[in-house]
Amino acid sequence: MAGQSPRRTRLAIKVNLILVVTLAVGVGLILAAFAANLIASRDQITRRFLKQEANDLYTSIENFMIPGEAPLAVKFFAQVQAVNPGSRILLFRQNGNFAFSDNTTISRVNTNLGTAKFRPREGIVTTVSMPSKPGFAQAAATPPAERFFREDEGGRSYFRAYRPLINLPKCTVCHGSDHTVRGVIDIRSDITDEARGQTIILAGAGAGFFLVVSLLAFVIGAFLRRVVIGPVNTIGLVCSGVAAGRFEGRVATRSDDEIGDLARTVNTMVEGLEERFKLTKYVSAGTLGALRAGEEPKRVTRTLLFTDVRGFTSYTEGHPPERVVEVLNALLDSQARIIHENGGDIDKFVGDEIVSYFQDEDASLRACRSAVAIARFCAGHGVESDGLSVGMGIASGSVILGMVGSARRADYTVIGDAVNVASRLCSLAKAGQVVVDSGAKSEAGPGLSFKGPFGAKLKGKEKPREVWILLTSTDDDAQGNFKGGKP
Amino acid sequence: MKRNRKGLALAIGAVLLALSCAPKAPEVYASPEYPTWARTTRTVLDYPIPGHMNRLRIPRMNALGFTATPLADGDRQRWDFPEDTVIVKEVYASAKPAAGERPVQLTIMAKDPKDPRAQGGWLWITKDLPDGKETVFTGNFCITCHANANEKHPYADKNLKEEFRDYVFFVPGRDNGRPASASGASPGATASEYGGVP
Repeated sequence: MAGQSPRRTRLAIKVNLILVVTLAVGVGLILAAFAANLIASRDQITRRFLKQEANDLYTSIENFMIPGEAPLAVKFFAQVQAVNPGSRILLFRQNGNFAFSDNTTISRVNTNLGTAKFRPREGIVTTVSMPSKPGFAQAAATPPAERFFREDEGGRSYFRAYRPLINLPKCTVCHGSDHTVRGVIDIRSDITDEARGQTIILAGAGAGFFLVVSLLAFVIGAFLRRVVIGPVNTIGLVCSGVAAGRFEGRVATRSDDEIGDLARTVNTMVEGLEERFKLTKYVSAGTLGALRAGEEPKRVTRTLLFTDVRGFTSYTEGHPPERVVEVLNALLDSQARIIHENGGDIDKFVGDEIVSYFQDEDASLRACRSAVAIARFCAGHGVESDGLSVGMGIASGSVILGMVGSARRADYTVIGDAVNVASRLCSLAKAGQVVVDSGAKSEAGPGLSFKGPFGAKLKGKEKPREVWILLTSTDDDAQGNFKGGKP
Repeated sequence: MKRNRKGLALAIGAVLLALSCAPKAPEVYASPEYPTWARTTRTVLDYPIPGHMNRLRIPRMNALGFTATPLADGDRQRWDFPEDTVIVKEVYASAKPAAGERPVQLTIMAKDPKDPRAQGGWLWITKDLPDGKETVFTGNFCITCHANANEKHPYADKNLKEEFRDYVFFVPGRDNGRPASASGASPGATASEYGGVP
């Protein structure tokens, strides 16, 4: 089915959009939450290790301090840093000054002990400035609070801990009881590689997710286009064609699923519709209307127009059947066209005869006009019709319109005296002549020319009827020579 | 009628849901009766110590806490205060508060090993006065300092035998500090308040 891409594109876009949004929102959110959770867990683990490290260092420092071996702590810090260059351990006094940067603490301890137990050190060099981080104040306050945070500096990432060094009761002997926090241990752990790895993993996961979503959307979209959207589009186009009177379309499907069943059902339906549509050519418009409306037989007023080819029997004797059928069909087709153009309805074809009827107020006028047109057509196309022409009868009156026949086979037709009269008048008419009864003549109005009246003795009728010859301006002689009687 | 029943059921459900979601009333550790509890020490705690400096402290313990007795743990004596023991330490604004002066803060130890916030089996709580708000300490400041109670320290009998004293510096019967004086230790205090401590 050609010309279906616009609709398919719209459906495909919608389906793909739904897929992408569903995957992006659903899976994406879960993935994002999972990634966030993973990062948080990793950070939490790192913090826990850092906290544990801080506690271990605290214990070490505490044990160095008790016997007054603070310089050992300095060496210990340096060795830890040497073993792990990414780490750094510093000890600051509560006021922010770097511990061991001068002899203040030694002097105070000696004072508290009342003896010069510790000898002031020489050549002390301060190499580290006091921390300016906001967490330091809280770590040095009373009560102190541990601080763990992440910081980026010089293109590297660190986890950092401020661990308060509390002036424990056992420390007060040397350090005095006038302060609660002796200092802050500053532990910095380099996590640059981990952070970088984390970023790479996240970026990779994001790119992978994007690729997977795109691929899935493409694959599922293509699958749906092939299995669902394509067939549904084709079904829609076939149905649209049927609605426009084109029955050649079929849905090509080999699938054995619900869509395949639907396609096959549609194909069967279209075939049935096509068959019925073809049958409508053999059924009058009135029959179709009655079928739609479900009309019961009813009494109506109609104007009947009968036409019959004159000299047809002898014509068939002198011509091959193929030519006879060709000429007859052409003649009948032209008549039917003219009748339809004038709003008439073909009730039936009976051999070379046409039974038609007209309805509504100007039914007789249109019937007469049809007859005039047919007469002129026959006169003007004598060569094509091998000189054949038709005689016509028109009568108007009350008839029964409805289904006539058996339950198995019925015709939707007209029955009544007007039908018989029209048929008889047609029989009376010569080639190119139109015989009209008085009723139809009166209803046709003044716009037409009639000759008559003539008294006509109709078969099956006891009394002669008054009839008229409709002048068609094609053959005045023929029109004037009426065998039924004299005016 | 059916609609009314449905509405009533919905209303009850909503109320139950609201009640289930409502925050539970916080437990009060410093019982209003705590001023009647016996003191854990006759020592006048008006000397400066880290954390409290030179502000007067008066620790009191509920009767359950006084049932604790040391048990031998190998070569070491071990004190384990029973669950639900509560020690309330009044902290005054200065070393020598005026008669009738109220404490500015209470620091509380509540033995509740099952509580996930417990450290060393104790909840470490501060109650700021006069607003009365109790805060459970989640940091390790308190326990870090009180861990010294389980080894030699400069207070009371100094724990020279390094008993495990369950993070309590002044345990019953181990007090050899200065006796409290009516004027300095506790405004309005009497000797009978020292729960069994001679």
